Amino acid sequence: MKPSELFEQVYETASYTESVLHAHLELFYDEGLKLSKESDKRYTKNESLGLLDGIPIAIKDNINIYGYKTTCSSKMLSNYVSPYDATVVTSLKKAGTIFTGKTNLDEFAMGSSTENSAYGPTKNPWNPDFVPGGSSGGSAAVVSAGSAVASLGSDTGGSIRQPASFCGVVGFKPTYGTVSRYGLIAFASSLDQIGPITNTVDDTRIIFNEIQGYDSKDATSITPEYTKLENKKVKVGILKELMQEGVSNESQNEVNKVVNLLKEKGHDVTEISLPLTEMALSVYYLIAPAECSANLSRFDGVRYGIREDASTSYEMMNKTRSVGFGEEVKKRILLGTYALSAGYFDEYYGRALKVRSKIITDFKTAFDKVDFILSPTTPTPAFGFGEKTKNPLEMYLSDLCTIPANLAGLPAISIPTGLSENNLPLSVQIMGKPCSDYSLIDFAESIEEMVEFNFSPNLLKENNES
Amino acid sequence: MSENFNIDDISNLASIELSEDEKAKLQKDLQIILEHVDALKNIDVKDQKIDIHPLSKVLELRKDESKESLKHEDAMMNSPETKDGHFVVPPSIE
Amino acid sequence: MNLKATIGMETHVELDTKSKMFCSCEVVETDEPNISVCPTCLGLPGALPVPNKTAIEYIVMLSLGANCNITNEGMFHRKNYFYPDLPKNYQISQFDFPVGVNGFLEIVLDEELHSVEIERVHMEEDTGKSVHIGSGRIDSATSTLLDFNRSGIPLVEVVTKPVISTSKMAVAYIEELRQLVIDLGISKGKLEKGNLRFDANISVANEDSNELGTKVEIKNMNSLKSLEKAIDYEIMRQSKQIEKGESVIQETRHWDENKQVTISMRTKEGSADYRYFSDPDLPNMIIDEEFINNSKKNIQNLPLDKRKTLKESGLSLSDSNYLDKGDKWLYDLYLSTVENTKDSKSTFNFLTGELQGQMRKAEIDELPDWVDSEKISNLINLFETNEVSFTSAKDILAKLLGEDIDPKSYATDNNLIQSSDDEEIKTLVTSVINENQDIVERLEDPEDKLVGFLVGQVMKSSVNKVNPGSVKDILLKELFG
Ligand SMILES: [Mg+2]
Ligand SMILES: [Zn+2]
Repeated sequence: MKPSELFEQVYETASYTESVLHAHLELFYDEGLKLSKESDKRYTKNESLGLLDGIPIAIKDNINIYGYKTTCSSKMLSNYVSPYDATVVTSLKKAGTIFTGKTNLDEFAMGSSTENSAYGPTKNPWNPDFVPGGSSGGSAAVVSAGSAVASLGSDTGGSIRQPASFCGVVGFKPTYGTVSRYGLIAFASSLDQIGPITNTVDDTRIIFNEIQGYDSKDATSITPEYTKLENKKVKVGILKELMQEGVSNESQNEVNKVVNLLKEKGHDVTEISLPLTEMALSVYYLIAPAECSANLSRFDGVRYGIREDASTSYEMMNKTRSVGFGEEVKKRILLGTYALSAGYFDEYYGRALKVRSKIITDFKTAFDKVDFILSPTTPTPAFGFGEKTKNPLEMYLSDLCTIPANLAGLPAISIPTGLSENNLPLSVQIMGKPCSDYSLIDFAESIEEMVEFNFSPNLLKENNES
Repeated sequence: MSENFNIDDISNLASIELSEDEKAKLQKDLQIILEHVDALKNIDVKDQKIDIHPLSKVLELRKDESKESLKHEDAMMNSPETKDGHFVVPPSIE
Repeated sequence: MNLKATIGMETHVELDTKSKMFCSCEVVETDEPNISVCPTCLGLPGALPVPNKTAIEYIVMLSLGANCNITNEGMFHRKNYFYPDLPKNYQISQFDFPVGVNGFLEIVLDEELHSVEIERVHMEEDTGKSVHIGSGRIDSATSTLLDFNRSGIPLVEVVTKPVISTSKMAVAYIEELRQLVIDLGISKGKLEKGNLRFDANISVANEDSNELGTKVEIKNMNSLKSLEKAIDYEIMRQSKQIEKGESVIQETRHWDENKQVTISMRTKEGSADYRYFSDPDLPNMIIDEEFINNSKKNIQNLPLDKRKTLKESGLSLSDSNYLDKGDKWLYDLYLSTVENTKDSKSTFNFLTGELQGQMRKAEIDELPDWVDSEKISNLINLFETNEVSFTSAKDILAKLLGEDIDPKSYATDNNLIQSSDDEEIKTLVTSVINENQDIVERLEDPEDKLVGFLVGQVMKSSVNKVNPGSVKDILLKELFG
C-alpha cells in the first residue's frame, strides 16, 4: 500500500470513529495528504527514509509541533500555536512520518481517564461507555480504533501504559532520559517521559528507535548505553506488593497466565517483595504536584494563551489562571504549592524525595537478582465515566501499578494479554532496569507471541460488519 | 493535614483566584490526599541522601555559543496584546 | 544613645558571555525589543534550560577572586514568585549550595585596608525588562511593556555578611567588586548599563548591643552617588526613629532619586515565600579540581595584585587604590613612566592630574598612539629638573596630545628652557627692586605676600623663562640677606 493510500485509509477510519470517540482534537488532513504523496514519490524513486517513512502517527496534544495548536486539552492554551518543534517531532519528521493530528488528554496530562479534558472526554473504542484511560487517552484510542497506525503519548505516572492497557494496545515508557523532553509541555519534570503507543511490540521498537537518543536541549537527557540480555532464559520477578488487595483478581489472573507461559518456556520466575512500593502513590502525589506547581506557573496570560481583563498585572494573572485551569489542575497546583511552602517542605516534599531515593535503591537491589519485573498494568480494566470522579484517591489508585517505574526512572511496557468478563482488554506490565529498553522490548515481544492477543474493539467490528 | 492549612494563603501563593464553592471542594479533596500521604511519616528517612535522576546523571554544560533565536514575529504571535514590539500587560506597579 | 549602622550588600553582576545562561540566544545590547528570545528564555511551554559553561567558569573565577571556597557539588533551584517580567514565574537560582562561600574582598579607605567578608556567590538568570507607561509617574502607570531580550542573561549574585558600617565603605566595596570583575574579564562592569546592580540591607542598633537592629532593604540605587546618599539617608531615618523610641519596620524601601529619600514599597502579602526547590530539569552540577584549575588559569592581575605593584613603586595605599581602579592603560603607563622618572608621587600627580584632566577637557578617551611612556617621562623630568616651568610643561603636554612632538626639542625650539643662570636672574632682580622701591619699603618679613608680587614681576620681565624657585631664593637673599 502506498503511503497516501494508507493515509486515506486511516483518515477514513477517523471520519467515522471520531464522532463516537473524540480522540483527536485536531486532524491534519491537507498537510498529511500532501506529505504522504511526497512519501509516495520517495518510495517510487527508492529513496525511502526508512521504516517510518509515510507512516501516519498521532501526537498527544502536549507535544509541540511548529505552526499547530498545542492546547494540553486546557482552556488556558485554547488559542496557543507553537512556534517550535519538540525534539521528538523533529526526529519523526526526519524519518518521514505523517502526523494525523493531535490527540486528546487529561488537561496538562493530569488524570487517568481523559475526563479532565477541557474539550470533552474521549471514549473507549472497546465500549464507549467506558473511559479510554489517561492521560494519553486520545493517543491510545486512535491506535486501538485504527485512526492512526501509532501514536506518541507521555507518561508521568502511567499515562501511556494505563490507557494502552484500557484500549488493548501496546504502551511503552522508556528509561527516563532516553527520549528528549524538549518540547513536551512539562507536568512533572523528573517523571515525564515520551513514548510510543502501538498495535505491536515491533512497532514500538521501530518508533522508540527513532525518538531515543541524547539531546543537547534537554539537560536530563542521557547518552544511553543499552544493556543486552546474555541468556535466552531470563529471570522474572513477580512483585508481591502488586499482587494483593487493591488489584482485582482479573488483573492478577493475567499475570498468572503469563507466568505459566513463561515457566513452560523454561524462564525462571520468582516472587519478589519491595515493601516501599506501597508508598509509591504517596510519594508521587507529593513530588508530581510540587513540580507541576512550578512548571505551570508560566501560564499567566502575559505572553501567550488566554487572558482575563484586570486593572493590574497580578489581578490579571490571578483571574487568568482561575479561568484557564480546570479543577484537577488547580487541585494539584495547590497541593504542590502547599508541599513546598515554608514550614511544610521537609514534612512533605523533602520527605517524599527521600522515600523516592529509597525506592530507587530498592529497585537497584531487586535488579541484581532478576532481569525483569512482571505485574498487572492496572488494578482493573477500564472503568465507566464518572465512576471515579467523586473521590480523588479512587482515580489516583488506578495508577497504582505504573507509578513505581516513573519514580525509579525505569523502562516499562504494557502489553495486552486478554479480555475481562465484560469484554474489556487486560494487560501485563514488564519493568526493566535502566537502559534495558531494547531487551525489555525483545522480552515483551516474546510474551506477545506466547499470549496471542487477537481481539479488536467492537467499534471496528460493527463498522466492518455493516 | 495541618490545622495551619489555609487555602487562601496557598491560592495566593499559587496566584489562582478561587470562588467560595471551589475553595470548599478543593479543601475537602486536599484533605483526603494529605491524609493519605501522611503514611510517609512512618518511613525512616534519617541520613537518606537525595538522588532523583535514576542514572545519577551529572549536569553537562553547554559551550558558550549563540545560535539563532526565534523570529520576532514567531516570538510575538501568541501575545494577547502587543505594542511596538513589546508584550503589553496591565500595570505591574501597584 | 550611641547608635551604629550595619550594612550588608547584595550585588548582581551581569556576566559578559556570548549567549544567555540557559539558552543559546545571543546577549545583545539593543533598544529593539524581543529580538533575542527563544522558547527557553520566553518561558514557552515545553522549553528546557541547558547551562552555559563559560558562565560557570566565570562564577568560579569570581568566587576565587573573592577568596571563596568552591562548592564541588552544587545544584540549581527554582525561586518561585509571580512577576510579569519573570517568564516562568520562577527564577533559576541557587539556594543551599552556592558556587562560592565564605570569602572576602580587601578594600581601601584612605590609608587603611579593610576586609569585607563575602557570605556567598551564586549563579542565576536575569529577568526581562519592564517599562511602565502612562502619565509618566511610576505610581500611576496605565500599562507595562515587556522586553525579554535581557531575560536569561547570566547573573552572579554576590552577598556580603553584614559587616559594612558606613556608606563610604559600601561605595569602596562596590568599586573593588567592580574592578575585580573587570580585571577578571567576566563582566563589562558598567554601572550605568546595569551590569552591576546592588541592594543594601541596613540596620541601626545601639552601639553596645550584640544584636543587629531591624533589617531594611534598600533598592533602586543606580549609581555610587545614590548608593552613598541612600545609605546615609536610611541610617539617619532609622536613627531618628530609634531615638524617638519608635521601632523600625522590616520592609523593602525604594531610593527616590528625585526626592533624595527612601520610600516604603507596598509589597504583595505573602510574596516572600519563594518555595525554593531543586530544579528537576537540571541534574547536580559537579565543579571538580580540573574545572577549578582551568578557571584559575584565566585569573591574572587582580586589583589586589595591582595595588601591591603600585605600592612597591612608592605610592601610598590610597594612590595605589586610585590607580588600580582606573583604566588599564593608565595603570600600565604609570608603571612604565615611573621607571624613568624615579619619582612616584610626581608621576602619579602628573598622570592623574594633568594628563587625565587635559584628556577630559579635550574629550579624548584614548591616548594618541605617539604618546608613550618615554615622552611622558621625558616631559616629567623636564619640569622636575627645573628645565621648564610647570606651566610650560602643561603647554607641552597639550601640544603633545595634539601632534607627535619630542617634548625636549619642542621646549628648546620654542624657547621654553628656563634659565637657572644666577647672574642673569640677579640682574633682573636688581632692576625689579629698583623699580619697586615703594613696595620694598613696605615688606616686613620673607613670608610677606608682596614677595610673591615681586617674584611675579621678575618672571614677567624674563618672559617666563626663569625658574620661579631660583628667583625667590635670590630675591630674598637680596632683600633680607
Ligand atoms: Mg538574586
Ligand atoms: Zn533564549
